[in-house]
Amino acid sequence: MTRHGEAALVVFAAVIAALGVTAVNFSRSVGIDATAVLTLVVFVIAFGGLHLAVREWAPSAIPYLVPLAALITAVGYAEVYRIDSALASRQLWWLVTSAGIATAALFGLRDRGVSVLRRYRYLLLATGLGLLLLPLLPETWPLRGAVINGSRLWVRLDLPLGGTLSFQPGEIAKIAIVVFLASYLAERGRQLATMSSRLGPVHMPDPRQLVPLGLAFVVAFAVLIYQRDLGASLLLFALFVTMLFAATGRHAYLAVGGLMIAGGGVAAWSAFGHVQTRVTAWLHPFDDYLGGGYQVAQGLFALGSGSLTGSGLGVGRPDLIPAAATDYIFAAVAEEMGLAGALAVIVAFALFTAAGLGIALRSRDLFRKLLAGGLTLVLAIQTILILAGVLRLFPVTGLTLPFMSYGGSSLMANMVLLALLLRISHEERT
Amino acid sequence: MNRPLRRLAAVLFVAFAILAAGTTYAQVLAGPGYRDDNRNTRTIIDEARRERGAILSADGVVLAESVADPSDPRSFRRRYPQGPTYAHVVGVAATILADRGLEAELADTLESGRDATISGLFSALTGDDLRARSVRLTIDDRLQQAAVAALGGQKGAIVAIDPTTGAVLAMVSAPAFDPNGLIGLTTDLGNALENDPDRPLLNRAIQETYAPGSTFKTVTAAAAIEGGGAGADSLYPNPAQLTLPGSTATISNFNGGTCGPGDEVTLAVALIRSCNTVFGVIGMETGAGDLIGTAEAFGFNDDIPFALRGATSAVPPAESLASDLPAVAQTALGQRDVRATPLQMALVASAIANGGVVMTPYVVDEIIDADGDVVEETAPTEWRRATSPATARVIADLLREAVETGTGRNAAVSGVVVAGKTGTAEVPDGPPHPWFIGFALMDTTSPIALAVVVESGGDLGDAATGGGVAAPIARQLIETWVALIS
Repeated sequence: MTRHGEAALVVFAAVIAALGVTAVNFSRSVGIDATAVLTLVVFVIAFGGLHLAVREWAPSAIPYLVPLAALITAVGYAEVYRIDSALASRQLWWLVTSAGIATAALFGLRDRGVSVLRRYRYLLLATGLGLLLLPLLPETWPLRGAVINGSRLWVRLDLPLGGTLSFQPGEIAKIAIVVFLASYLAERGRQLATMSSRLGPVHMPDPRQLVPLGLAFVVAFAVLIYQRDLGASLLLFALFVTMLFAATGRHAYLAVGGLMIAGGGVAAWSAFGHVQTRVTAWLHPFDDYLGGGYQVAQGLFALGSGSLTGSGLGVGRPDLIPAAATDYIFAAVAEEMGLAGALAVIVAFALFTAAGLGIALRSRDLFRKLLAGGLTLVLAIQTILILAGVLRLFPVTGLTLPFMSYGGSSLMANMVLLALLLRISHEERT
Repeated sequence: MNRPLRRLAAVLFVAFAILAAGTTYAQVLAGPGYRDDNRNTRTIIDEARRERGAILSADGVVLAESVADPSDPRSFRRRYPQGPTYAHVVGVAATILADRGLEAELADTLESGRDATISGLFSALTGDDLRARSVRLTIDDRLQQAAVAALGGQKGAIVAIDPTTGAVLAMVSAPAFDPNGLIGLTTDLGNALENDPDRPLLNRAIQETYAPGSTFKTVTAAAAIEGGGAGADSLYPNPAQLTLPGSTATISNFNGGTCGPGDEVTLAVALIRSCNTVFGVIGMETGAGDLIGTAEAFGFNDDIPFALRGATSAVPPAESLASDLPAVAQTALGQRDVRATPLQMALVASAIANGGVVMTPYVVDEIIDADGDVVEETAPTEWRRATSPATARVIADLLREAVETGTGRNAAVSGVVVAGKTGTAEVPDGPPHPWFIGFALMDTTSPIALAVVVESGGDLGDAATGGGVAAPIARQLIETWVALIS
C-alpha cells in the first residue's frame, strides 16, 4: 500500500466518524447538521495533518498505523458523541491538540531520529515519575491533585482565562517510562541476561545491574498504589516484565514477574476494599447487582442486548452503563454496533499490535527494537486488560481503551505513541 | 534478539483471539440471557416503547391503546381512555412496575414482535405476522359503566356473566385506580396504591373471598334436593331459635321470629324468606358429605379456569365436618369457614340459570390481527355440572319467587323475569357484607347472571342487608341490560 492509499483510508475513517454522528442525529430526528461536517473536517485535519507530517518527516513509515488509529478513534468518537455530545465536542479539541503534538514530535525527531531520546533517558524517567507524583499535589493549589472514583490519579489546573483543565498524567508517564526502559535495557540487556551471581541455589544477574531498575519501579509502584490506581500499576508492571523478557530472552523474568503480579494481586486484594469490590463484582456481578456489581452487570446487559448487529447507533441504551464513554466504551460500541462492530474493534487493535510488533521485529538497532516493542506492548496490554474486564474475563481495571475512550490525556499519550512508532518504522526502512 | 518478541506477539494474539471469543460468547451465546434478564432496564424500556394492540370492549369501546409518542415517532405510549373503569380487568402495561390484569396475561398476544433483532428480521422474512394484535373482550362497556355507577363509590365487586356461554359481561372492583398513572418511570403512585389500606389494586371480583352468607343457601338447597332427595315442598321444623346440638350456640332468623306460621315449613318458603333456623336444620339433615360435594360441584375448592388468576373459593373438607353438626349448620348458612369470590357466586347463579351447567368463564372474545381479521375466537366450553337440570329448574323457580315476593324484591324489574338470592354475611368485627346473586331472563336473548357484594355494608354500615343494599344495585344493572336489549 502506498501513501495515497493511506490518505484514502484516513479520509475513509473521517467519513466513518461523520456517518456515525449522522446516524446518532437521525436517531434523535435531527438529520445532517453542522456537527457531522465539523467531525469530518476535524478528523481530516487531525489525521490528514498527521499523514502529511509522515509524508514529510517519516516518509518510509508503514502506511497502516495512521489509518488504523484513525478508524479506532472514529468508532470511539461516534460512540462518545452518542453517549454525551458535550464530551464529544471536547474530544474534538483533544483530537486536534493530540494530532498537533504528534506532528510536533515527528518534526522534532526529523533529523536525529528517536535515538536522541536515549540521551534524555534519566530526564524522561524523572519526568515520568514526576508526572506520576503530580496527583499528590495538595488540593488547594492551582495545579492540584483530584480524586475521581476513589482513585487519586487526576490533576487539575486552573487556567488563567478561567475554566479548569483536568488530565491524567499517568497516561503521559507511561510513554516516558517505556522510552527509559527501552534505552536502559538496550544498554544493560546483555548483563541482565547473564546469570553471573548466585543467591543460594538460584542463578541471578549481578545485583548491581538490577538496582536502578528495581528502584525506579519501587517508586513508580509506591506512587500508583498510594493513588490506588491499581490498573495502571498492573499495566506498568506487566510492561516492565515483558520488556525485560524481550531484552534478555530469559523466561525467569516472566516467571518471577508472574509470581510478583500474583502476589501483588493477592496483597492488593487483602489491603484495598475497592479491589475486593472489583473482584467480587467480577466473580458474582449479579449478587450485588445494585451495588458493586452494577457496572459489570450493565456491561453484560449491553453486550447481550447488542447481539449480532447491535441496536444501531443512538437506538441502544449505553448511557445506562456507568463510565460508558471511558472505561466501558467497548460495551457501548458492542451494544449499538453489535458483535460485528465489537469484533471489528478487536481486529483493528490486533492489526495495530501486529504492525507495531512488525516494526520492532524488523528494527536492527536494539534501542529502536525495544522502544517499538515496548510502545506496542503497553498499548496492547492496556487494550487487553480493559476489554477482558468488560467481557468479565478479568476484574475491571479502570483503564481507558486507547484511541476510543473519551479523555484528553489518554488520546494525547496514544497519539505520541503513534508518532514514535511511525518514526521508528521510518528509521528501520531507511 | 527477535525470539522473545515473537513469543510475546504469539501471547498477545492468543489474548486477542480469546477476547474475540469472549465477545462472541457474551453477545451471541449468553446474549439472549443477558438481554432478557428482568434487571436489564433496556428490555423494560424497550417493551414499554413497543406497540401493543388495542383492547376493545364487546361493543367496540377502546379500553387500551398504543399511541405514537409525539417526541419519538418510533416509540409508543399506552393509554387507557376509560381510566379506572377497567383498572382491574384490563390492568396496565407499566414500565417499571409489574404489568397487571389482561395487559400482563395477554402480553404475548398484544405485543408487537417487531424489533431490531436478527431473529425478528428472519421471522418477518418467513412471513410471520409480527404486528401487534388486538383483543375484543366479552365485557359490554355500557354494562360495565352501569356497574361502576351502581356501586356508587362503595367498596365491593360486581360480576355479570352470560350463563349460557360463560362470557363475562361486566367485572367491576371498587375502589379502583387510574392505570394511566402507573405508566412511566416513577414508582410513587404504585407504592402509594400498594400501601393504601383500601387496597385499590386488589381485584375484589376474583382475588378476594368473602363469606357468602345466605346466598350460599342456593347451594345448600341444591344439596338437599340432589343428595338428600328433598323437594321444594319437603317439610322441615320451624323454630324461632335453633340450638345447635352438643353446644350452647344458637341460630336465629334475621327478624328474630319463626319462618312464617306453623311448626313446619317447606324448603321453598325457607329459601324465599331466607330462614336461618330452617336452613341450619336442612344442612344438618342433608349432611356434610352432600353439602360439601354439591358446593364442590359448583366449583368451590377448585381454581376457576379464567384469564386472570384469582383466589380459590373454599368450603371446609367434609371429613372435618363429619362429627361437628354445629359446623355443618353454620356452613349451610354460608358462614364459618365458607369463603367465596364474587366470580364464584356469579357462577353459582349461572349454573342455576343454565340448567345446572357451569360454563367456563371467559373475558377474551376474539383476537384480531392488524388487518382486522379475527384470528382466534373463544368457543364456550362447559366447566362442570353443578346440579341436574331438574334441580336447577326447581331452585330457579324458588329464586324467582324470592325476587317477586321474598327477600330479593328490591331487585325486581318490570317486564323481565328476575330471580335471585340475597345474603348478609356476618363478619366477626365490623358491618356485614351485603350480597345479591341471581339472574334475569328475557325471551329474546340469553340471560344474564350476576353477583354483587358490597364490602362492610357500604354506605349503610351496620344497618346494611343484602336486600337493602345489594339487590338495588343488581336492579340497576338489570335495568341497563334490559335497556340494551330492547
